[in-house]
Amino acid sequence: MHMENHSESSLMQALAQRGVSRRDFLKFCTFMAGTLALPAGMTPKIAQALESAKRPPVVWLEFQDCCADTETFLRASNPSVATIILELISLNYHETIMAAAGHQAEALLEQTVQEGGYITIVEGSIPTKDNGVYCCIGGRSAVDIVNEVAGNAAAVITVGACATWGGWPSSRPSPTGAKGVRDVVKGVPIINLPGCPHNVVNSVATIVYYLTYGSLPDTDHIGRPLFAYGKRIHDNCERRGHFDAGQYVEIWDDDASRKGWCLYKMGCKGPETYMNCPTVRFNDGTNWPVGAGHGCVGCAEVGFWDNMTPFYKRLPEVPGFGVEVTADKVGLALTGATLAGIGVHAVASTIRNRGGRRHPGEEAASSEEDVAEEG
Amino acid sequence: MAKIAIDPVTRIEGHLRIEAQTDGGMVTDAWSSSTMFRGMELVLRDRDPRDAWVFAQRI
Repeated sequence: MHMENHSESSLMQALAQRGVSRRDFLKFCTFMAGTLALPAGMTPKIAQALESAKRPPVVWLEFQDCCADTETFLRASNPSVATIILELISLNYHETIMAAAGHQAEALLEQTVQEGGYITIVEGSIPTKDNGVYCCIGGRSAVDIVNEVAGNAAAVITVGACATWGGWPSSRPSPTGAKGVRDVVKGVPIINLPGCPHNVVNSVATIVYYLTYGSLPDTDHIGRPLFAYGKRIHDNCERRGHFDAGQYVEIWDDDASRKGWCLYKMGCKGPETYMNCPTVRFNDGTNWPVGAGHGCVGCAEVGFWDNMTPFYKRLPEVPGFGVEVTADKVGLALTGATLAGIGVHAVASTIRNRGGRRHPGEEAASSEEDVAEEG
Repeated sequence: MAKIAIDPVTRIEGHLRIEAQTDGGMVTDAWSSSTMFRGMELVLRDRDPRDAWVFAQRI
């Protein structure tokens, strides 16, 4: 603050006015380097890039949504993180929080699109049935709007399951023909942050990566960034030790549930879901579903509303997993599918994580299967 | 007599359009429309009832 006043960036000045110190800012950059799985030595580079970055205009579109991803984004409960990101971008259009309404709001959107070079964040699915009549804003259908606005963006970030692949509006029987952005808009870089909702840490990290490198982070076969969706929930779960030891919750509120044992038998979909929930958690790292005592519902995966329901049936009995297999075998099969689409580097690290490792968990799972057959 | 339309109505959760008939600066009639439909009830049909809350809280 004192010695380096002469070189202090406008970002630093803006943050200081909002009570965010340089120390807070560097802590944020370190947190982002960690989230993005970059070496700690990258922190100064991120800090430097953010300080010199031109604030990109951001247009946030909401279609068939419940606003949960907006809530998530605004609910970055650590005020310095929220302040920093809102200083880093120029949020030109966002229906739920913008001051303008009606034609004034639409004029702002039109102006941003004409000027170009903006990032579009999309929340909510796009109904395609009956000429897109099921979602209209300013007299235009969501299909029209997303094609114009996302179609001309420098980059598109989808937040949440609905914008990524259609979410629950697209689940059986899909009354409005809801689709994700990737199925409607072609020819523009799209990064998908599914989840129901997504995690603000991941959307902020994606923006920070974009501002630092000028490109979007590496993704898997369905466009999810590997830093956030590269690891299986089951492998990083705080209750994994109980799975390995064959210690399961059998009915809600039994002694095992009070002890925080594994929720696999209660329908946890952690063994086939890829997201960083166990490590970054939600609400500024406060907790996550499994930590709160409920199994993972698999919300980071495409089609989970149909493929992973009933939510309280354990994995092998969920339709689509017809054979009795252990959680690890389910995970391996899915990993095989995931691996097909991602880079060699990621393949190597995933195999290193899992390959050849035969741990007590498989035994535990086998004996648990026997129990199930007897019952 | 003039008809005005405010669409989108911002700072609310969801999509809303308001049309108002005005006469001499006074609103004489008004219509509101919710301009988005997903069909939650149709999606909930034929599912395990224990799953209903997970869907319904995403309204």
